[in-house]
Amino acid sequence: MSKLLEIALGIVTGIGGFLETGSLATSAQAGAGFGFQLIWAIALGVICIAFLVEMAGRLAAISHHTLPDAMRERFGIRFFLAPLVAVALVSFLVLAAEIGGVALALQFASGVSYRVWALPVAAAVWLLLWKGTLGVVEKGASLLGLVTIAFVVGAVRLHAPLADVVSGLLPTAPEHDPAKYWFTAVSIIGASVSPYLFYFYSAGAVEDGWDEGYLGVNRATAALGMTFGGGIAVAVLACAAMVLHVRGIQVDRYEQIPLLLSTPLGRAGFWLFVASLGVACFGAALEIALQLAYLVAQGFGWRWGENLRPREAARFTLVYTLALPLAALVSVAGMDPLKLTVISMALTALSLPVTVVPLLILMNDPLYLGEHTNGWISNAAVLAVSVIACIVALVAIPLQIMGS
Amino acid sequence: MTQPREVRLERLLGRLLVDEFGVAVGRIEDVEAEPDGDAYVVTHVLVGPEGRLARLLAFTHQLPTLRAIGLGRKPRVRRVPWAWLDLSDPWHPRLRQAPVGQ
Amino acid sequence: MQLGREVLDQQAIDAKGRQMGKVDGIVLELRGDQARVAAVVVGGTTLLWRVHAGLAAWAERRLGGEGAPTRIPWRQVVKIGIDVKLDVEAERTPAFRWERWVRDHVISRVPGA
Repeated sequence: MSKLLEIALGIVTGIGGFLETGSLATSAQAGAGFGFQLIWAIALGVICIAFLVEMAGRLAAISHHTLPDAMRERFGIRFFLAPLVAVALVSFLVLAAEIGGVALALQFASGVSYRVWALPVAAAVWLLLWKGTLGVVEKGASLLGLVTIAFVVGAVRLHAPLADVVSGLLPTAPEHDPAKYWFTAVSIIGASVSPYLFYFYSAGAVEDGWDEGYLGVNRATAALGMTFGGGIAVAVLACAAMVLHVRGIQVDRYEQIPLLLSTPLGRAGFWLFVASLGVACFGAALEIALQLAYLVAQGFGWRWGENLRPREAARFTLVYTLALPLAALVSVAGMDPLKLTVISMALTALSLPVTVVPLLILMNDPLYLGEHTNGWISNAAVLAVSVIACIVALVAIPLQIMGS
Repeated sequence: MTQPREVRLERLLGRLLVDEFGVAVGRIEDVEAEPDGDAYVVTHVLVGPEGRLARLLAFTHQLPTLRAIGLGRKPRVRRVPWAWLDLSDPWHPRLRQAPVGQ
Repeated sequence: MQLGREVLDQQAIDAKGRQMGKVDGIVLELRGDQARVAAVVVGGTTLLWRVHAGLAAWAERRLGGEGAPTRIPWRQVVKIGIDVKLDVEAERTPAFRWERWVRDHVISRVPGA
């Protein structure tokens, strides 16, 4: 029974945790620009992140190591530095984007610029991390995240044609704007396969004391949670396709995005959109700030744990205490939240081989996994998606920059 | 009585080991130690072609997919007795002249 | 036992079960033909030597030494499993110098800490 509860919780976490500024912005752009055509990118991203989350959980349950611990131990400091720096940089950028997302939601609600809101948002995230426990952060964020189901309601209200949704699952070549098409595709993959998701997951699994008995729960949580989460991203894309694409509106400015829900649901839709954006980004900001602290502390062997009091894990606490205001400054400086988000997601895609391959190496090491090492399907799937996403990003990012 | 000399294991790893004629034997991948009374005594050095990469590449040796296409074969790693090592210059470890009778 | 694989870069845990850094280095003591494992090292410039020797040498010239590494004699290394347990108290070693400094000068200054 408690296992079922764990799985249910995992699904809720998936729904609430998957959608954040990255998935929201990239799915909205994809739907507005290309109708239902890019749903395949979401599917590809979901498959890849589901495999990765399952692996990170399995590593934690079998070896009782978090990902940074195991990487440092197995690779030595030199080969650990590359993934450490890559994940830290990407996480920092995404953290800045999430803070921008919450600040933007507050701008929609209050009319006061996001630049004013960024620092108070960072302070609120910090306060919750300082006072809260892991349970509060994880469960609070994911329960509130359920508000994003509003997008599914919106898509149903708009009568999004199921046939188009299904046919979008098959990758097809674009009829126009190929550079933008591929750039959006890799941004979607970058938004889905955020390293913070599986790094955070591995730390949480170790902190919650998982063992071999959790393998089933872990598999179900990863598969179902990520699929449901991806479903919401598809709903966002469908709303954008039905509301914006048909009218030829591109998502270039963030002011246009609330239309996704205000068109099908009216005034309430506007507020649901604001709540979804704010809550989803706030939850993600909590997890990313925490994950940055986990990463650094675990990599260098400092005391860590969100359940410890700040005094008991001083350096760990210091990491998020410094990262949050710094990330907020990006928005204070006036960096457009939508641009920041899209760029962060494309760079995440670009860095995938560096952030993902170390996990794959560990997952094939019997020293850590015993008989539970990876099968060839998960190896091949994750490797293929990350390498292809990296190559496409390598081509698409310069094209996109030249084009705009 | 002179102070015992110290070497740092972490700086020894990955170094190129040459024989008494200066010909490369391989890189130091790891060091084996065994308990001896209260102390732990180093018995062997593991010398192979991969050096520091060995810890990174170990997984390839057991992947059936790679083995099937003839890759990922385990490279030959030699266990060299510690006593054969000449560390008078710790940055450039050498093998001593093959000891007679060993 | 393979020292590089089984000890180096492992999590160091003190007598009270606190994380006190990673095993950044291992000291071997040469006595004639024999080498004994003398100590494990946590912190200081030890780690930097492994990243970039030139940078480490420069840092040591600036610091006038190895910084503040903690050397734990091998006889105080209790157990080697997932972690390396050390029979010392981290609070009293230089390995906790920065942890203490951050706690006393930053974290404690925050109201409500």
